Amino acid sequence: MTAVLERPAPPAPRLRRDRRRWAWGLGALALVGWALAGSGLFTGPVLNPAGTGQVGRFLGAAVRPELGAEFLGVVAGSTLVTVAYAVLGAGLAVLIGALGAVPASRTTWGRRRTGWLLTRGGLALPRGLHEAVWGLLLVNVLGLDPWVGVLAIAVPYGAITAKVFADLLDEVPRGAYRALLAAGAGRGTAALYGLLPAAAGGLLSYSFYRLECAVRSAVVLGLVGAGGLGYQLALSFTSLRWEQVWTTVYALALLCLVADVAGRAVRRRVAAPRPGPQRDPVLTGAVLAVLALTGWAVWYLALSPAALVSERTREQVAWVASAAWPPATDGDLLAAVWAASVETVRMSVLAVAFATTGAVALAGLAARPGRPAGPGRAALGVLTRVGLLLLRAVPPPVWALVLLFVLLPGVLPGALALGVYTLGVLGRLVGEAVEEADRRPGEALRAAGAPPAARWLYGSVPALAGPVLALALYRWEVVVRDTVLVGLLGAGGIGVLLSAATSSFDWPAVTTVLVAIVLLTVAVDLVGARARAALR
Amino acid sequence: MRPARAARSGGPASGSVLLPHLSRRTLLAGTGAAVAAVLAGCSGTSTAAPGSPGPLRIGAIPDQDPEVLQRQFRTVAASLAAALDLETEYRPVTDYAAAVSLFRTGDLDLVWFGGLTGVQARLQTRGAVPIAQRDIDEEFHSVFVVNTATGLAPADDLRPLAGLRFTYGSETSTSGRLMPAYYLREAGVDPGGFPGGPGFSGSHDATIALVASGTYQAGVLNEQVWRSRSEDGEVDPAVTAYARTPAYHDYHWLLGPGAVERFGDDLAGRLTGWFTGLSADDPDDAAVLELFGAGSFIPTEAANYRQIEEIGRDLGLVS
Repeated sequence: MTAVLERPAPPAPRLRRDRRRWAWGLGALALVGWALAGSGLFTGPVLNPAGTGQVGRFLGAAVRPELGAEFLGVVAGSTLVTVAYAVLGAGLAVLIGALGAVPASRTTWGRRRTGWLLTRGGLALPRGLHEAVWGLLLVNVLGLDPWVGVLAIAVPYGAITAKVFADLLDEVPRGAYRALLAAGAGRGTAALYGLLPAAAGGLLSYSFYRLECAVRSAVVLGLVGAGGLGYQLALSFTSLRWEQVWTTVYALALLCLVADVAGRAVRRRVAAPRPGPQRDPVLTGAVLAVLALTGWAVWYLALSPAALVSERTREQVAWVASAAWPPATDGDLLAAVWAASVETVRMSVLAVAFATTGAVALAGLAARPGRPAGPGRAALGVLTRVGLLLLRAVPPPVWALVLLFVLLPGVLPGALALGVYTLGVLGRLVGEAVEEADRRPGEALRAAGAPPAARWLYGSVPALAGPVLALALYRWEVVVRDTVLVGLLGAGGIGVLLSAATSSFDWPAVTTVLVAIVLLTVAVDLVGARARAALR
Repeated sequence: MRPARAARSGGPASGSVLLPHLSRRTLLAGTGAAVAAVLAGCSGTSTAAPGSPGPLRIGAIPDQDPEVLQRQFRTVAASLAAALDLETEYRPVTDYAAAVSLFRTGDLDLVWFGGLTGVQARLQTRGAVPIAQRDIDEEFHSVFVVNTATGLAPADDLRPLAGLRFTYGSETSTSGRLMPAYYLREAGVDPGGFPGGPGFSGSHDATIALVASGTYQAGVLNEQVWRSRSEDGEVDPAVTAYARTPAYHDYHWLLGPGAVERFGDDLAGRLTGWFTGLSADDPDDAAVLELFGAGSFIPTEAANYRQIEEIGRDLGLVS
């Protein structure tokens, strides 16, 4: 009773927020409807049943992957390269993030907004381009140097990390910082001793999260020729050797699994530290292990900083820069860019709608049940989680080709390919959200005799809707960047234009398309941030 | 992906407990170890001795089964190294444009290019010289294939293809894109037309598979690949050859200027001499020729690819 009385609910702001949510909800529905209308689903046939045999070949190969000793050796070696790229890429990204967080933080600029806005705007450029696009550009400057793989991860990740680090620092309670300032400390010192310690947990947690993501990105990089597992996968994929493709996919899935499990364990530890003043041995061990791994990776890839400033690199940068500037602005290209951008938005909306629906439908199965379950339920849960893992281990371009066998050409195969891949990622995240959600409302409803449907509707949905939609919105930004990947295979969207421009070495057009991609990402980013704010 | 959690975990509760954990000592020790490791790693990467020219780096556009390519080019690299007494190395590439770029940056010295990629690479790399081509490259062909469900019987007329869903191979493939597009236009078919626009399957094998599935009703690919897949019985019976293009120049070896600088001015001559001297009577040479599906290698010159360059400019593939 007191608990109820103690929680006053101010009615006025609530109503306003709800109205805002209505607007966003209706807007989202309209957007999905528009995307569906443009997909060709209602205007003609989209299925190509004759292609089921080809898909059967792809799926059949899953149970008989290539297991020859020689190939397994190649895959093992490639796995090490992928790990090295991921570790170095993420490590460098954290370093860039730590340095970049200073100019990107509101605390640094105080009331002077201009500098802050400029930095944030500047970060949008590296952030807006996909790792694979960075890889493509860097190959043109650095050739076959392993720096290509490392930088292609570190540049976009560094920009994201700088933004997140800056936000973390800005959100830390300011008491200690202000006290130090008042006592006469300099701003740098005050930040170092007043802000950093309080933010350390969040920073560490996010760094490990970046490492997890870097593993998946390191794979995609292989597709542009930077080496590692993705590279082997691309080689097997161009000649449609599905048995080999599956071996690489399994290796990849294993790697993702290890990264996910380890990263999650560390992040849980950070989120819920053990009481007592002792150092947490698991966290210390994890940090030291990553540092050791970094040293090994530098040695394994034979990374030489001199390559970055060599004369050849400077020459190539000058060559690319002079070829790519100024951007092409002819009307035909701009019209094509506009049409492709619209198609990209359409594809991304379809993909996210598909992935969100699927993730919500599977969430109950993917989440580990709170109370002990029967063997059947447990097996189903494991099966779902393994299925989701495989969905995100097969890169989108492979999904695009496989889906192209059974779907007629158009927006749909590309959108679904991204949707299937995103389902793999989102399914896991939503499952985790379900695990972490408060189970008490559901239990209370059960005790009161409510049927399962009502328990779900009134016990789970209200608590989960916000986090799930926020995750979906966040993935939307990622999917817009990912459309470039399926476009490289001609499955629609702005990637098709990029692929055409890069393969004909029309550098001014490449610049135009890249600018369009960055603008598109920024726009989606802004809309997503607004929508998430309305959900909060 | 979970900014919410990260933000929450950065709150004061977790921070104050974590503070002693990431003490300066730990941080400094960790940083020190990392820096030491990085330095140790870097010092081990000394480049080749200044006097040695290093290996001749051989590459190829990835237009065929990578395993076959691997075998093919390992064999060439080994035979070449033995015959000309120089170090060689084969570096596989996954993408046509990457092969051209890597030739420009000097990461690849001697590359087996297609007609169009060879032109692109030569225009971007001053001092690049064509070395040799196969006897069959003088008269290379592409094959238009159709799904049997279309009911089209083999013919010379390309116009019936205009109403079909159609896919090319890789965007800058000479045999899978450029020359077929040219001959389609000669026949009065818009090469960029087709219902829903043409597709780009990415590779010759993918073209066969996509036409077999019926997703695309017709496609075009390299005649050599089509023949070898047919002979191996790997082609789905739902795909059948429809027409063959007239002959054009295609694949050739291109040598980069960097290699000439390192190995001497006579390198181009020595390479041409070695390739054209390969004889089917010698068992070792025969192995190389067979892997390339050639009777012999013959000399070639930049002028042979002028037509390809013009068509490439017309189609916006050479700029």
